[in-house]
Amino acid sequence: MSRILFLLLFTVSLGYSQEYYFYAAAESDDTVSLISFDGETLTEEERIPVGVMKTENEGPHGLTVDPSGEYWYLSLAHGTPYGSLVKYSTATNRPVDKTTLGMFPASMQISSLTGLLYCVNFNLHGEMKPSSVSVVDPETMTEIKQIQTGVMPHGSRISPNGRFQYSVAMMSGELFEVDALSLEVNRILSLDKGGKMSHKGMHHSPVKPTWVTPHPTKPIVYVAGNGSNEIIEINTDLWKITKRIDTGKGPYNIDISSDGKFLVATLKGDAKTLVWEIDKKNKSVVSNNTSVTHGVVISPDSKYAFVTVEGIGGEPGLIDVIDLKKTKVVASLKIGKQAGGIAFWKIEE
Amino acid sequence: MLTKKILMKKFTFNLIASALLLSSATMLSQELVVKSNLEGLTMSVGETFKPTSFAENLKGEKTMCQAVIYYNKKGVFSTAKAVTVNRSEGTIRANEPGTHEIVALCIGQQGQRLSRTFPVQVDFPKAKEIKITLSSSKIYEDSYIPLDFEVVDEMNFTRKNEFFQLSTDSNNIEIDAFNNVKAVSPGKAVLSASFDNISTSLTIDVLENPVVKLELKADLDVARTGDVVNYEAIGYDKAGKRIEGLPFSYTFSGKAVDKSNTASGLIMSDGKFVAEVIGDYMISASIGSSSVSRPLKVVGRGIEREVLKVGKGVVTDKHTSDFWVFEGVDGRDYAVTGTWGADGTSFFWDVTDPANIKKIDSVKVDARTVNDVKVSQDGRISVIGREGASDRKNGIIILDVSNPYDVKILSEYTKNLTGGVHNVFIDNDHVYALSGSQRYYIINIKDPKNPVEVGMFEVGKEGQSIHDVWIEDGIAYSSNWRDGVYLVDVGNGIADGSPSNPVAFANYDYATGAHHATFPFKSKSTGKFYTVLGDEIFPDGVDENNPNITAGFLHFVDFSDLDNPVEVAKYELPGQGSHNYWIEDDILYVAMYGGGVRIVDISGDLLGDLYRQGREIGYIMTGTSDGYIPNATMSWGAQLYKGYVFYSDWNSGLGSSKVSDLKPDNSKANQYINKTPIID
Repeated sequence: MSRILFLLLFTVSLGYSQEYYFYAAAESDDTVSLISFDGETLTEEERIPVGVMKTENEGPHGLTVDPSGEYWYLSLAHGTPYGSLVKYSTATNRPVDKTTLGMFPASMQISSLTGLLYCVNFNLHGEMKPSSVSVVDPETMTEIKQIQTGVMPHGSRISPNGRFQYSVAMMSGELFEVDALSLEVNRILSLDKGGKMSHKGMHHSPVKPTWVTPHPTKPIVYVAGNGSNEIIEINTDLWKITKRIDTGKGPYNIDISSDGKFLVATLKGDAKTLVWEIDKKNKSVVSNNTSVTHGVVISPDSKYAFVTVEGIGGEPGLIDVIDLKKTKVVASLKIGKQAGGIAFWKIEE
Repeated sequence: MLTKKILMKKFTFNLIASALLLSSATMLSQELVVKSNLEGLTMSVGETFKPTSFAENLKGEKTMCQAVIYYNKKGVFSTAKAVTVNRSEGTIRANEPGTHEIVALCIGQQGQRLSRTFPVQVDFPKAKEIKITLSSSKIYEDSYIPLDFEVVDEMNFTRKNEFFQLSTDSNNIEIDAFNNVKAVSPGKAVLSASFDNISTSLTIDVLENPVVKLELKADLDVARTGDVVNYEAIGYDKAGKRIEGLPFSYTFSGKAVDKSNTASGLIMSDGKFVAEVIGDYMISASIGSSSVSRPLKVVGRGIEREVLKVGKGVVTDKHTSDFWVFEGVDGRDYAVTGTWGADGTSFFWDVTDPANIKKIDSVKVDARTVNDVKVSQDGRISVIGREGASDRKNGIIILDVSNPYDVKILSEYTKNLTGGVHNVFIDNDHVYALSGSQRYYIINIKDPKNPVEVGMFEVGKEGQSIHDVWIEDGIAYSSNWRDGVYLVDVGNGIADGSPSNPVAFANYDYATGAHHATFPFKSKSTGKFYTVLGDEIFPDGVDENNPNITAGFLHFVDFSDLDNPVEVAKYELPGQGSHNYWIEDDILYVAMYGGGVRIVDISGDLLGDLYRQGREIGYIMTGTSDGYIPNATMSWGAQLYKGYVFYSDWNSGLGSSKVSDLKPDNSKANQYINKTPIID
């Protein structure tokens, strides 16, 4: 009987497979790719041309998928002069609506509490002055408010309860917490060693934070210190830096697995990806298949990290899949040039 | 004790609040609608209002939202200033009249959201003054009276075109149902008007029509399509004396030679007329019940010519962007082309024999797009712009092209140019480089290995954006999308400007805001000075069904009076949009994307729709069967060089063609069309 049961389970497990779907943007190709991964092979299901002006490069940068899974959203960095946010249907990958944001809109996420989308206006090539977070109602695709934050804000992430939005200001070296309901800045924390700085006068942060991501269950956020080659751990209850963890060169984007076990950070300057088992304090560094590692998203089952790698010049951008247990790249796929923004969509069985 | 009481109150409150929230969580899962005191709201300008909203189910049971977020549906960027939200006070303020949409977004406990849009009417402030004015100094019997109506309200907003209640006791004027007022007989008449309980009146002196005899002069009785004919009507009194200042009205009628066409044209209030179609026309001038007419025969311009494709430099593996043809220091002719969305390559070509274009060298830089390429007047230095650099520093690259067979990189310059250099221009040892599509920097390259920034120009408005800059005679023509063209003195002296101190001295913008390029044009035939402003429009927006659909046209702006530029004519190719162009010897060579390169006669006075006037000499479909995207014309730009029309095409590369002296031979044409196709 136990043998029959074993055989039954074995047969079922053979027939059981999962397909992971995600979107990745190619910033210099004005395309977004819908990609699937079956555990072994990556497939580009569709390459979607994005943007308005075919002969002008509009720079698709940030991506996010609606919690319902019905829509995905793309920030276009360039415009005349403002960038924009475009809403696409996941059913058709056709655009549904569009709205104008600020200068060089970048990363974003939707709050499960408010249903609003919070997108940083990176203003990467602009003057050294405070930029903003655009708050958009994705239902009407209306920009409701621009909340002033720091200089060159990047990495927009929402707390697990949907109540707070976090971003970091790359040039002013600050962590911002925005109340997703009141649409006001709640708290600011200086990330540079030596404490708070004022907004008056020029300041080039030595930390150069480029990403922030909250822990799924603990009152902690992690910040990528791109300039200081570290991950910074901040306790959000105490609103204090509690740890600085050395990494390789230029940590850029971060994700944390939904089980809270793994933190994965792209090391832009090293063409590598850091895989850190948080509780075990065990760090591994995985080499990517080309240079300029950019974005990362971990599958909801905490098995795989999908990493975008920009590439150099005319070479295609890449998707590298890292098996988090094996800590190695198990699949790779070429997409459009300068692969950057990435967002997970769904797992299908 | 007091503390305990407070604690008990707090506990009780929390309990009730939790119950409410719990019930709200439950209720939000039922069918609910947002109710608000915004419903049916009417406000006055300047008024503030505190909205309150809640969710209600079908049974009428209410529940409060955890939070309500209000916003103007027009958004931050658009016209949201019409109604603004003060989130700390929880109020809205009406700033402009009209019907506005305010969204109330109710956030539930579990992240459910419920929203509803409420139209809010904001009334115009009460009128405090109304005005009627005559827009003509003399009113003659049997003519319609040109009137302007204006309302000034209590907030000092001024608006026109309101419908006044008009009346009169006089028999000298008549008012119809649409407020057209006609002067019917000589004498004084009082026109009364009222609006919003405010009244005013205007006394009109209707003059007897003094004209006994009319004459209509013209500078031509036979004209070609597109020729501007100047008419002058003259009225004489019974003494035979000419009467000055008569407000004539000009009209025309006609019959086209082609019975499938209608005689169309344009006539202006100053008597200028231009015909679009071959045929017989009658031009009339009238004043009151007196009129005079004069016939005009309109013939074809006869300028169509065969255009022959001569040579091509095909790029088979990437898109091509802009190009520049130049004479090298060795006296031979060369060209440089950029590439788009590729690997940062620029190609160099020997075009000395335009029929035998040869690729002779290439330079690859860290970029994905080299959108613009230029060469100095002496043929020694080339500057290329970078976009999509891997290190995101972009900037420009300065090249030594004194030997185009062996191009060398002299220097890279990125300061203030990291946002990408979409367009560049070289003039008198200075590079004008666009920065992040917002402004341009002026860089001295006298020592090309050590460029130095000397100046910068920007419009200085919020949301400023620039697409191109072109310099001629020390004036930089800056193309700024919705802000239009700015004429900037960078050494001409007209406004004491210089490269280190650029000074804007003239500007013209237009409603579509799609201004993308400028070419200054001094007409050799008339001496008039125009700026030709080109649009770039992709009308499908993000929802493209066909990526090659383009729109937009060239606007001809008469800048003879720098303080009062007037847009007088346009060149628009039906179904196609404009891109880059070149003008020389009163001929326009314009790349119209999918419409190819069009060659247009722009000699003489310009007025109206130049395409419809048959001013096209010929055209070139620039696609090629062996291009990167075969047989897909997408003309990027054109340049006349030593008698040849060179062009670049996004899908195929570089090409050359020649306008021949031969007229198209209709005997060999497709029987259904009058024009011959281009011989390839």
